[in-house]
Amino acid sequence: MVPIQYNARSLMVRKVTTFAAAFGIALVVFVFAGALMLNEGVNRGLVTAGRPDVVIILRKGSDAELSSAISNEYLGLFRGPPQVAQAGGVIGEIIVVVNAERSDGSGVSNVLVRGTPADGIAFRPEIRITHGHAPRPGTDEVIVGKAISGRFKGLEEGGSFDLRRNRPLHVVGEFSADGSSYESEVWGDLDKVRNSLGREGVVSSVRVRLNSPSDFDAYRQTIESDQRFSMKVMREADYYAKQSEAIGRFLMIIGVVMAVLFSLAAMIGAAITMNGAVAHRVREIGTLRALGFSGRSILLSFLIEAIVLSVIGGVIGSVLVLLLSFVKFPVINFQTFSEIVISFQATPAVFWKALVFSGVMGLIGGLVPAIRASRVSPIEAMRA
Amino acid sequence: MNLATYARRNLFRRRGRTILTLIAVALAVLIFCFIRTAIVAWNAGVDEAATDRLATRHKVSITMQLPKHYIDDIRQVPDVKASTWANWFGAKDPKKRLPFFAGFAVDQDTWFDVLDEMQVTPDVLATWKQTPNGAILGDKLAHALEVSVGDKLVINSDIYPGDWEFKVVGIYKAMRKTADRNTLLFRWDFLNNDPRAAFSKEKIGWMVSRITDSVHSADISRRIDAKFDTQDDQTQTMSERAFQLSFLGGVSAILSVFAIGSLVILLIMTLILGNTLAMNVRERTHEYGVLRAIGFPPGHILGFILGESVLVALVGGLIGIGVAFLVINLGVSPALEEAGGPFQYFRTPGYLFGVALAAAVGLGVVAGAIPAFLGARLKVTDALRRLD
Repeated sequence: MVPIQYNARSLMVRKVTTFAAAFGIALVVFVFAGALMLNEGVNRGLVTAGRPDVVIILRKGSDAELSSAISNEYLGLFRGPPQVAQAGGVIGEIIVVVNAERSDGSGVSNVLVRGTPADGIAFRPEIRITHGHAPRPGTDEVIVGKAISGRFKGLEEGGSFDLRRNRPLHVVGEFSADGSSYESEVWGDLDKVRNSLGREGVVSSVRVRLNSPSDFDAYRQTIESDQRFSMKVMREADYYAKQSEAIGRFLMIIGVVMAVLFSLAAMIGAAITMNGAVAHRVREIGTLRALGFSGRSILLSFLIEAIVLSVIGGVIGSVLVLLLSFVKFPVINFQTFSEIVISFQATPAVFWKALVFSGVMGLIGGLVPAIRASRVSPIEAMRA
Repeated sequence: MNLATYARRNLFRRRGRTILTLIAVALAVLIFCFIRTAIVAWNAGVDEAATDRLATRHKVSITMQLPKHYIDDIRQVPDVKASTWANWFGAKDPKKRLPFFAGFAVDQDTWFDVLDEMQVTPDVLATWKQTPNGAILGDKLAHALEVSVGDKLVINSDIYPGDWEFKVVGIYKAMRKTADRNTLLFRWDFLNNDPRAAFSKEKIGWMVSRITDSVHSADISRRIDAKFDTQDDQTQTMSERAFQLSFLGGVSAILSVFAIGSLVILLIMTLILGNTLAMNVRERTHEYGVLRAIGFPPGHILGFILGESVLVALVGGLIGIGVAFLVINLGVSPALEEAGGPFQYFRTPGYLFGVALAAAVGLGVVAGAIPAFLGARLKVTDALRRLD
């Protein structure tokens, strides 16, 4: 086999063209890895918000918390079955989307407000108050998720907004929730919120903590077959997966289609560079053949050179894409018409896939030039 | 042999390289047109929103409803020509033949007067007014749900429980190319009289008004909101465009990704073009030395290189927009528009082809600039000494 050093030095000699081709590939890898990171962000923001031992109950026929309504009196009945965890096992919450004006003046959007009972925050161990303090139960205090804090007028610590005329809710703190979609919500007191909306005695959804995830089927059977009400029981994780399905797939498809189309252009760029390299080095190739290297070694050597070239691009692209970690990306949850802010999430899998992707681009782009190189006749070449 | 012949022959000296570069430029221009068309198509629905119409919704939340009598009040406001209202029904197809469509409970007497981009014949309208459970559909929706006039149609709702049975009385015609052809309209009184809708009895979702003077729409909006300011349920009135955008706000980030993507592909194209030029110049360094030695000024060398770059960009760009026209406007569009979804109208507007071609040629200059400059600046002795 031809030593890899030969390829490395050849790439170094043609610095400008190597860099141009590699940078083209870097841009494609940037797009590709960006799409993967966004998909990770959607998964993290929406899917992992669900815990395996928690189920969510909605009125049958509703696909989302927003459109569901359950009478308060059923809460006791949901607590009845033996599968329910004893302490803090059941919480009913009200959900509403409110009209909010963007701080940057680019119009209005919808923000989700969750009215939660006194034990609602403790029910989710991932909630951390990062600024200010937790809202005191029974007051008009609310906290705002850190993903939307400051993005809308009045929705930041010290601000206030109206749910009903002259009854402002005051923002007293900011919270984080392990990157989940809760961070795009505003949380307040259950009774305050629903009274403002004139929906006393009703909750949107009920969450129930079970003793163990394996109790799900038995619990679901009990509730869904109960004749007194018509309810749907889902694992919280399944509920969020369904919510994010449409938007996650949509973003992923857009990103990957874009990356694949772009990669066609970048592969042509790699092919031009490698073709140039072959044409330029016909005499060298002839010499290598004369020294006894087989056509197959030459083929392999040029393929490796093409792959190295594009993996250099892959590395540059992967480093550039890390900058996206600082970008917040608002998407719309089609079920609630409200905005969820997600961030690009870098994981080892993203880089691994990005490098493989760049390697494949190099392989395909370099294939034809490498075959041409392997077919160079030593005698013709030496004569050239 | 003159200079033009020299330039032309140069172009095809490395035929494979030139062809690959042309393909790359054409491909980049095609992708650019495609992405930009998607942005234009996405904005089209919003941009075409009528400017003489205002939407009035609950100030706090779009999910909160307004008392029915507001419609009488709003009609009292000066400069409001006509008003109608609608309730969001959260319509779902029980057989799940399509993932999403809009279902509105509307006023049969005034809806089509205000929303004039939907049109029905007087006969259909008369039948509708006599059929309490009558429904009017867009043609695409009727096709997807496999119903025609006279058929029974069962729809579920995300908000109201159970099966809702309608009788299809007509198909509305979309009078504007971006008007939604996937909407279900049925009578508001039918919803209001049903016990399953008791919790929204005598409530309306939002109001749409046609105004006499679109220039003063901001003043009229303020007057409408002032009218309800002392009531429990305050309103927020905005242009129809702003109303539509409030549902699509989160989409703007995706559009900016598209916009960035369209620039990235142009950057990739510039790199490829520049690379090709740099390789050509490198291979011809010796010749340029000869040209300079027999008396050609550096400006000629610069012109050769830059001209070659622009020519490749121009030809590649022309191929690209030609293919874009065939693929997008004659191939993809009819299919996408038939499929429904967000793109009611997916066509590359003529100006976009111009922009794409101009971008290609402009970037041809950029890509050629550095190689051309370096080529022109070569010292004759250095150029002649270089043999590779």
